[in-house]
Amino acid sequence: MKRFDLIVIGTGLAGLTAARTAIGMGAKVLIVGRGMGALTLFGNTVDLLGEIPPDTEMEEGISRWIASHPEHPYARTGWEGIESAIAAFQELFPPPYNFAAAGRGNSLLPTGAGTMRPTWLIPVTMAAGAAMTPAETLIVGFRGFKDFQGDTVSLHMKCRGVTLPLPRYGLEGLTAPALARLMDETSFRERLGEAIRQQMAGERFIGLPAVLGLRDPAAVLKTLETITGARVFEIPMLPPSIPGTRIFHRFREELIAKGATFRMGHPVSGAVVKDGRCEGIRIDNPPLVAEYRADRFILATGRFLGGGLWAEMERIIEPVFDIPVFQPGERGQWFGERFFEPEAHPIHRAGVVTDADLRPVDTLGRVVLANLRAAGSILAHHQAIEEKSREGIDIATGFLAAKKALAL
Amino acid sequence: MDLQTEVLIIGGGATGTGIARDLSLRGIPSLLVEKGDFTSGASGRNQGLLHSGGRYAVNDPDAARECIAENRILRRIAPHCIEPTDGLFVSLPEDGPEYRANFIRACGAAGIDTLPLSPREALAMEPRLSPRIIGAVQVPDGAIDPFTLVVENARDAESRGARILIHTEVTGLIRDGLRIAGVRVRDRITAEAFAIAATWVINATGAWANHILRMAGLQIGLALSKGSMLITNTRLSERVLNRCRPPASGDIIVPNDTVSILGTTSLRAEDPEHYEVTPAEVTFLVDELSRMIPDLKGERFTRAYAGVRPLLQSEGTNDDRTISRGFALIDHGSCSGPAGLVTITGGKLMTYRLMAEKTADFICERMGLHVPCSTHVQRLPGAGHGHTLKDRLLRLRRQTPAAKGEILCDCELVPREAVDAILREGKVRELQDILHRTRLAKGTCQGGFCVYRLLGLLNERSKADHRGGSNRILKGFLEERWKGIRPVLWGRSLKEEELIESIYKGLFNLTPAEPGGPGGGEA
Amino acid sequence: MTKEEKPVPLTKLPDVCVRCATCMAACPVSRVTPRFPGPKQAGPGAQRFRSAAEASVDDWIDLCTGCRLCDTVCPAGVPISEMNMMAKAKYLDERGRTFRDWLLVRSDLFGEMAARYSKIVNPLLKKKVVRWLLDALLRIDRRRALPAYEHPTFRRWFRTRQAPKGGGPEVAYFYGCFTNTNETDVGKAAVEILEAHGLKVVVPPQRCCGIPRLGVGDLRGAREMGRWNVDFLLRTVRGLDIVFSSTSCGLMLRHEYGPLLHLPGAEELARRLFDICEYLLGLHEEGKPAATFQPIPLKAAYFAPCHLRSLDIGLPALELLRRVPGLDVSLVEAECCGLGGLYGFKKEKFAIAEEIGKDLTEAIARMKPDIILTDCEGCRMQIRHLTGLKVLHPVQLLRDALERQGEEIHRVPVESFNYLG
Repeated sequence: MKRFDLIVIGTGLAGLTAARTAIGMGAKVLIVGRGMGALTLFGNTVDLLGEIPPDTEMEEGISRWIASHPEHPYARTGWEGIESAIAAFQELFPPPYNFAAAGRGNSLLPTGAGTMRPTWLIPVTMAAGAAMTPAETLIVGFRGFKDFQGDTVSLHMKCRGVTLPLPRYGLEGLTAPALARLMDETSFRERLGEAIRQQMAGERFIGLPAVLGLRDPAAVLKTLETITGARVFEIPMLPPSIPGTRIFHRFREELIAKGATFRMGHPVSGAVVKDGRCEGIRIDNPPLVAEYRADRFILATGRFLGGGLWAEMERIIEPVFDIPVFQPGERGQWFGERFFEPEAHPIHRAGVVTDADLRPVDTLGRVVLANLRAAGSILAHHQAIEEKSREGIDIATGFLAAKKALAL
Repeated sequence: MDLQTEVLIIGGGATGTGIARDLSLRGIPSLLVEKGDFTSGASGRNQGLLHSGGRYAVNDPDAARECIAENRILRRIAPHCIEPTDGLFVSLPEDGPEYRANFIRACGAAGIDTLPLSPREALAMEPRLSPRIIGAVQVPDGAIDPFTLVVENARDAESRGARILIHTEVTGLIRDGLRIAGVRVRDRITAEAFAIAATWVINATGAWANHILRMAGLQIGLALSKGSMLITNTRLSERVLNRCRPPASGDIIVPNDTVSILGTTSLRAEDPEHYEVTPAEVTFLVDELSRMIPDLKGERFTRAYAGVRPLLQSEGTNDDRTISRGFALIDHGSCSGPAGLVTITGGKLMTYRLMAEKTADFICERMGLHVPCSTHVQRLPGAGHGHTLKDRLLRLRRQTPAAKGEILCDCELVPREAVDAILREGKVRELQDILHRTRLAKGTCQGGFCVYRLLGLLNERSKADHRGGSNRILKGFLEERWKGIRPVLWGRSLKEEELIESIYKGLFNLTPAEPGGPGGGEA
Repeated sequence: MTKEEKPVPLTKLPDVCVRCATCMAACPVSRVTPRFPGPKQAGPGAQRFRSAAEASVDDWIDLCTGCRLCDTVCPAGVPISEMNMMAKAKYLDERGRTFRDWLLVRSDLFGEMAARYSKIVNPLLKKKVVRWLLDALLRIDRRRALPAYEHPTFRRWFRTRQAPKGGGPEVAYFYGCFTNTNETDVGKAAVEILEAHGLKVVVPPQRCCGIPRLGVGDLRGAREMGRWNVDFLLRTVRGLDIVFSSTSCGLMLRHEYGPLLHLPGAEELARRLFDICEYLLGLHEEGKPAATFQPIPLKAAYFAPCHLRSLDIGLPALELLRRVPGLDVSLVEAECCGLGGLYGFKKEKFAIAEEIGKDLTEAIARMKPDIILTDCEGCRMQIRHLTGLKVLHPVQLLRDALERQGEEIHRVPVESFNYLG
C-alpha cells in the first residue's frame, strides 16, 4: 500500500495550492479529487476581498476585516499569510502570462453581463479591462457563440459593440474550449484580429470573450494587440472557464513535474481513522477500492457543488470524515425570501469550523482528528460570492494548511 | 383608444379563452382581456392531469360522468395538447381491497373503462411502484398541457374574429343605470388606460371572481384553496399514478414530458395573488407520495409551485343557474345585481369546455340566437402537430450551422428558432411570455444558462431601438425563479443553486444595487 | 462511493448532473467539431429524453471516442462515457453495424492469420490499390498508416523460447491482441523486464479483452469475450498477480468486466490485475529485489494515454522512467491522441481523429524529444502516423536500460521497427 507524507483531498484551487506548497517543502504528496472546483465557474482572477472599495489599500482593508470577522478564514491566515500565499501563486505564473494587481486596492473588471466586478490580481489577458473607459472601448462578440452575449455587455456598459462572424466556415455553435483552441492557432487569430481591426472606429480598447487561447494566451494577446493597435482584454463568460482551465493545467503540470501523484475522477469513499488520527483514505474505482496511507491530510473538497458538503433534507453533512458541520438553523432558514437579499443567504456561512491551525473542531471546540486540516470553500463563516473572496480564501488557506501540516 | 364589443370576457385562463372560442364558432365576436399572460391563474398552476374521472367515481358519480365525457372530447379536439399516458389507481395494503372493488364498480357505472391489474403486472408496467401494492386498476387518465390548450383556444378564437388583449387589467366596471356597460382597463406594460364598451361582460376570472365583483359592489361565496406541487428532474413513470382511496392530499403523480409533477395539497388561501409553497407542504408531499414510490426521498426536485382553486360555497351563492355541482354560471341581473354581467366560476380545467358551452348557450339565448355549440367536435388548430421527446432529441443532430439549429436551452433542447418564431408572431411583451411559450428554463438548471443567452438574443434585437439593457429583466427572472426553487433546496438542487449563484452573483456580479456602485447590476 | 452516491441506475443519472459544463472543457471531440454535442448534452442531457421503449435517434453518439476524459473531471461523478456507451449500443443494435465494424472488432479472427502470412499481408497492405479498395469497400481511410503484422506471434515466441533458469515468484502476463500480432517486442520486453526483477512469467490462455466491441456498442459480444477471459484467467492463474502492458486492455479487464458487463468473478480478477509499470514501481518502492538501470542519455517525452487516466493509478510509468539515470523524461502536455482505438481508422471519423491529434503533435514538436514513450498501442500508432517519429512502450526502454551481468539481453534496435507509413 502506498504511503505519503501528505494526502490532499480536492483538486480545486485550495487543494492544488496545498499540494504545491507541500511539494515545495519536500513532501511526498498524493492529491486526489474530481473536477476543477471553482476554477470552472468563476472569472478566475484572484479575488481577495472584493467588498473593499477600490480606494482602500488591500492590506489595510483586509486587516480591518479580520479584526471585525474573527471567525473568517482570513483570521486564521492573517494578512502575512495571505501575502505569502499570493506571492507563491504569482511565482507559478511568470511573465508573459502573469497575474498582477492593477492598483493598490481592488480594480473593477467588466463581466459578461456588462456589469463591473471588483477583483485584485488580474492575468495579463484581462489587465486592460481595468483601464478601459466605455467611450473608447469596442466589445466584440461572435455570431453563434452563445455563451458570450456581446450586445448585453455593450448595452449595459454603454460601449460600442459588434458581432462578427468567425473567420472560418462552419464554426457557429462552437463551444468555448473549441474557440480557445482555435485562438492558439496563429493564422486563425491573425484573421480574427484583422476582422476586428476593420470594425474599429478609433477605439483604444477591445473587449473579447475569455477564449484567448488555452496554451499560450500571452501570444494570442500579443497578436491581437499588434494587429488592432489597441489594448485587448478578455471578459469571463458562462462556464466552463477558460482562464480557470489554464490555472488548473499550470498547477497540474507543475505538480506532476515535481513528483506529486495525481488521482482524478474517483471519489474518496471513506477514511481509516484510529485513536483520533486519520491513517488513510479509500478511493473507489469500481470494482476496486484503493487505500492510501499518510501522516497528514488536508480536506479541500469544496462546498455543495464540489461535494465537500451535502445537504440532506434536514441536516448538512461532510461526507468523507463525517466532521461536524456548522449549519445556520433548519432548512426553512437556510435561504432568504428573495434571491437578491442585502445579506447573503445564511446557508453560505455553513461549513467546517476550525482552530487557528485549520484543524476542524466540533461544537465544543475540540479538534476532531489531530492530523486533519481543512482548506478552501469548505470552511465555515465566509461568504465568497458576496465578499468576493473565493480565490483568496482558497490560496491563503491551502497554503497555510500545508505549512501547518508539514511543520509537525 | 376606447374599444367596443358585444361580449367582453375578463380572464385568459381555460374558461375565458374557451368562451371566446365557443362564441367565435357561433359567429359571435368577443373581446377578451387578461391582466397577465394566458393561464395566469389556476389554469397555469395545476397538475396537468387529464382526469378519467376515476378520482370522483365513488364519491361524486355525476362529476365522474362529466369528467369522462370531457376526457373523450378533449382527446378528439386537442390531441396535440395531450399525452395519452393512461393512469393507474394503485392500492396499498392500508387502502384496502374493498375500496378497490367499489372503485371498479363505480367507474363502470360512470362509463369509465377500467382494467384490473395484479401487483406483478402493475410493477412490470411501472417498476418504481412500491412492492407493497396489493393491486392496481388502469384507467384512461392522461397528461395535458394547459398552456398550449389555452393558447390554441385563443388562437382559434382570434382566427374567427375574436380579439384578445393580454397584459390588460380591468380597473373598474362602467355602469349605465342598472346595467354594466363595459369596463375600464389599463395596459400593464404601457400604463395606457382606456375603456371598452360591451353589452355583456363575462367574469371568467376564477379565483379573482370577487375581485372583479367588488367593483360592482357584489360578492359571491367563494373559497380559495391552495394546492402545492413538486416537479422532479426526471420522469418517474410512464403513466399517471393515483392512490386508490377516498380523495386526499398527496395522491397523484402526473408525468409531463421530461419530468413528473407530484401533488397535491389543499389549504385555505386568502389571496389569489400571494401564496407560497411551505416547507411543511414539501415534506408532506415527499413523505406521502413515497408510499407509492418508495425511493422518492432520494429524488431530485427542480421546482415547487402552487395554484389557488376557486371553490364554490353552497350557501350564499344565490345562484339561479347552477348547471352542475362544481361550477356555477351566475347571471347577476337575475339576482338583484346589475344586468349585463355574468360570472362563471368554480369548475376545473377538465370541464372548461363544458363551462364555456353553458356560458355561450346563455349568451346566445339572451341575444335571441339559436346556434348550437360545436366546440366538442371542432378540432383545435394545431391538432395533428404533436411532438414527442424523441423529436426534441433530434435537435441535437441539427446543431450544425447549416441547419440553423443553435440550441439556447441545453437542458430542454430549445432551439433559437423556437424563440425567433415566437418573437416573429409579435404578441409577446415581456420575458415571461416567451418562457411560457417554450420549455426554456424548465429543465434541470431552471434557466441557469439559457436565460442569459435568451436575453442576449433580445438585446441584439433591441440594440436597434436604443432601449436600455436587460439586466433588470434578468434579475426579475431570477427573483421569479427563486419562488419555485427555494422550497426544494437540498441535496442536488442545492448544488445546482450554488452553480446559479456562482454565475449570476459571482461571475456576473448582479446585485439589487443601484447603478454606479461597484456592485454593478442595473438597467 | 461517497454517502450521497449509492449506485444510481442509468435513468436517474441525469439527476446527478448539475450542468456545470466542466466536462465540456475536457472532451477532445467537441473541442474540434460541432457535430458532436459534447458530454454535457450527449450523456446526462440527452438521457432525459431517451426512452427504452422508443427507437434511438442519437446518430451523433457514434462520434464519442470513449476516451472517458469527461468522467475524470466530472465533480458530481456522472459516468458520462458509460451513458454514451449504452446509448451507442442501443442505437447500433437498432440500426445494425457495418461489415467493417463487424470485422474490425474480431482481430482475434484475422489477426493470427494475418500474422502467419505476414510476408504476403504486409506488402499487400502497403499497395495503393489495396488501400484504395479498403477505403472504397470497407471505408477504412487510405490515409491512415496501418500497423504491420509480425511472425512469429508473441505467444509463439514465448512458447518456444528458452526460459531462463531459476524460479522466483510467478506472475501472469496479459499481452493483448496488438502485442501478440503487431508489436511483439513490447511483449518480449515486458517478459524480460519482469524476469529481470526476479519473477517467473506465466502466459495464461487469453483472448482479446473485448474493448473494440465496446467501441461499436456491442455489449453482448464484449460480455462473451469477457466471460471467457474471466473463467480462464481465474482458473489458470488463481492466486497469481496478472500484469497487463496495454492500458486499454487493463481498463477493460479491471474496470469494465465488473461494473459495466456484470461478469461473475470480475471483481476477484480485478484485485489481481496490475498495470506493468504500476507493478514494477511497487516492487521498487517496496525494496523488493529490483533490477538496476544503466544510464540512457536521451530526452524522452512520455504521453499519458486516456485509458491510463481512467485507470486512475497516477503515472507509474513516468515515476519508473525517472529512475533511469541520465534519462530526461517529461510529461507531454496534451490530453488525447485522437485515435480512439479503431475510431480513427474509419473514413467518417478520420478527420476528427487527425484534428484531435494535432494538439499532441504540436506539444511533441515543442519538446523536441529523442524518443516518445506511451503505454497504449493506439497512441503509439497515432503518434507514428502523425509524426513519423519513434514511439516505444516504456517497458521497451526500461528493458534496454537493464544492467545485467553476463547474459545476452535480447534487444531490438529501435530502427528496425516494423512500421508501414
